Amino acid sequence: MAGGNEVNLNECKRIVPLNTWVLISNFKLAYTLLRRPDGSFNRHLAEFLDRKVPSNSFPLDGVFSFDHLDTSTNLLTRIYLPAPLDPSRYGAVDLTEPLSATEIVPVLVFFHGGSFTHSSADSAIYDTFCRRLVTICGVVVVSVDYRRSPEHRYPCAYDDGWNALRWVKSRIWLRSGEDSSVYVYLAGDSSGGNIAHNVAVRATREGVKVLGNILLHPMFGGVERTQSEKRLDGKYFVTIQDRDWYWRAYLPEGEDRDHPACNPFGPRGQSLEGVDFPKSLVVVAGLDLVQDWQLAYVDGLRKNGRDVNLLYLKQATIGFYFLPNNDHFHCLMDELKKFVHSIEEDSQSKSCPILLTP
Amino acid sequence: MKREHGHRETSSVKAGSSSMTANKEEAGGFDELLVVLGYKVRSSDMADVAHKLEQLEMVLDDGNSHLSDDTVHYNPSDLSGWVDSLLFDLNPTCDQVIPDQDSEYELSAIPGSAAYPRGKRTRTGSNSSTTRSMVVLDSQETGVRLVHALLACAEAVQQNNLKLADVLVKHLGLLASSQAGAMRKVATYFAEGLARRIYRIYPRDDVGLSSFSDTLQVHFYECCPYLKFAHFTANQAILEAFATAEKVHVIDLGLNQGLQWPALIQALALRPGGPPDFRLTGIGSSLTGQSIQEVGWKLGQLANAVGVNFEFKSIVLNSLSDLKQEMLEIRTGSESIAVNSVFELHRLLAHPGSIDNILLTIKSIKPDIITVVEQEANHNGAVFLDRFTESLHYYSSLFDSLEGPPSQDRVMSELYLGRQILNLVACEGEDRVERHETLAQWRNRFTMGGFKSVSIGSYAYKQASMLLALYAGADGYKVEENEGCLLLGWQTRPLIATSAWRFNRVE
Repeated sequence: MAGGNEVNLNECKRIVPLNTWVLISNFKLAYTLLRRPDGSFNRHLAEFLDRKVPSNSFPLDGVFSFDHLDTSTNLLTRIYLPAPLDPSRYGAVDLTEPLSATEIVPVLVFFHGGSFTHSSADSAIYDTFCRRLVTICGVVVVSVDYRRSPEHRYPCAYDDGWNALRWVKSRIWLRSGEDSSVYVYLAGDSSGGNIAHNVAVRATREGVKVLGNILLHPMFGGVERTQSEKRLDGKYFVTIQDRDWYWRAYLPEGEDRDHPACNPFGPRGQSLEGVDFPKSLVVVAGLDLVQDWQLAYVDGLRKNGRDVNLLYLKQATIGFYFLPNNDHFHCLMDELKKFVHSIEEDSQSKSCPILLTP
Repeated sequence: MKREHGHRETSSVKAGSSSMTANKEEAGGFDELLVVLGYKVRSSDMADVAHKLEQLEMVLDDGNSHLSDDTVHYNPSDLSGWVDSLLFDLNPTCDQVIPDQDSEYELSAIPGSAAYPRGKRTRTGSNSSTTRSMVVLDSQETGVRLVHALLACAEAVQQNNLKLADVLVKHLGLLASSQAGAMRKVATYFAEGLARRIYRIYPRDDVGLSSFSDTLQVHFYECCPYLKFAHFTANQAILEAFATAEKVHVIDLGLNQGLQWPALIQALALRPGGPPDFRLTGIGSSLTGQSIQEVGWKLGQLANAVGVNFEFKSIVLNSLSDLKQEMLEIRTGSESIAVNSVFELHRLLAHPGSIDNILLTIKSIKPDIITVVEQEANHNGAVFLDRFTESLHYYSSLFDSLEGPPSQDRVMSELYLGRQILNLVACEGEDRVERHETLAQWRNRFTMGGFKSVSIGSYAYKQASMLLALYAGADGYKVEENEGCLLLGWQTRPLIATSAWRFNRVE
């Protein structure tokens, strides 16, 4: 098997910059060590290995952040804001005033990835990503922690996401615009994308307005083995085996991957027809083995008459957005920026423009 | 983790920018993009780290994807080091080229006993276990990495994988030199021992440098309490055995500079009822023949000064096993005899039969007391790797106890001990004379030989503890009593043991 692996590794290394490759391979390696064959997870070692950063109320590169800790759940929420224009206000956090009385300031509620198992809002990779979102896309970011598997299975992550959304919606200091309301977009990568979808479903059901969903190579799956899974298994950092492990860890015991949490438009999926589900931007990495499921998700939204933009990045691998050293990153940021600032031109168009990059 | 301040990053987005380039902005040589994500990797090391990750991938693919229970994890931000450690842990026999690394991470010496856990697993291949304990160190202790590297090299030697051992030993030199304090010195000696073993450049025969070795021992005596403890406790046993004797004869199996005897002579002088006649037979090797006479002469001067009748005789031998009863000119019936051995007996284990010869000779002269001081360690196991591991731990403790302000005595003591290490690691067969065995092993040998243990007694224990407090400031030294024997150690580790015996005469 060694020979086959060498070919795979070399090809993968050609596609991504070397430091990206090192970063993602390191995660892959560490995660392999953490997952136990019996389905348990070495949480202590995981927390030790995870590189975390504190928030900074003093702006760095135009962004400052602060944490909110829910003492009943011990879940962290980290809020990222653009630095105040007036330097005398550095270091202070004003929780009494809206973000703006005139302009609309989109608030991105971001659910970090990690296959429902890894990472936190204060993980360095996510903290850095969120900070970049603020400066590049001109949004406020609220990064949300949720209870992780295998210690906490479905539907804990969705419940926590829902609570976070309600919390965000009720903050005075996240309001903006002339009508002084919280303009929320839900976003997430990998499992975070899956959470964003499910929170949006609930929000729709309960009448909470979400302006849009941003799903960055969201984590979906199904019992069937798709073409992309077979074709790309083990080639670009991810294996079918590890995907299976994480689903087994998240889904209720005894469930299979056609559970609607995993396969929302599968045989047990629910219809979104006629429901005011928010418009979606789905970003798919062309070298992600899960892409067939993500494309099926896009299809599913479309078939339900929902508004969805697909950004298909043909040569991108998972985690391409952790480092700004590639085209895909910049392309993503461009699209994101357009997406969150398009509320003024809210189009009811059902067309789905598909963007491809070489 | 501290956020890196002053991190510059362009927040403007260039649409349609040119093809992918790895961002090579460097902050102190480290890849800046990774630094922000919590990982310190030098740009110049990137390819190498990538290579190691690939190797690890291959190792893990072989189904060995779980860590052993006592895997130690180093600072994960130091990706290179972390990956290194995993490679050693998961596949110590893998043939890897380790590039030079100069480390900027803060290093500090690790006390020997903490350097690695006792009873470390013997490797027979991959092992998996169902228990869940794990040792984790969130520090930048390359000292522990160094220990792992030493053990990996020793293991390569054990498995006769000299190609790998060669690579590792070169790496060791660099790792060791980036350490400080006791760890550096110990590692350097052990690394040298390994190198000598690998390249077959064996240390010169000790006999040729005997007088130098005596000198070194004097420095060792001056600089730390081990020898003083040995002499003191042995003398206590001898004094008790000689309590009422009118003529006493001490046979010192290794006279060296005779440092043990002034105190005994003085104690005898102060004996209630007056001193006995004191006769000393000092044994040494051929090249110290001349200086033995001088030592005897000086002791004579001292004895005269305190009013003790003194007689001296020297015996020069190539090996203690050549000692015959006749040489000792025992005056049967009229003298009490003590046989004293400080760090001498273990050398005889290098030659089959030698230890039995000397024990026979000792039995034949029917001594009233036999005092034995030896290193408290098993450095004579059959398996090289086990000896290496044991002795690494032992000398780490020993060197650790020597740490302090620099002095001539200390430097020479370290050399004294270093020579033992080199002999232990690099030599084999009859050349390997530093064959230390534990008190338990010696007890066994003596008991089987028909000797009976004589308790050294609580008075000696108390005195030893007090003296230790005076000399060494009770810093880390500890005196222990074990079934009538006394041990001196550093922190939790006993390092030398004194025992006393007599021979069961068959009436």
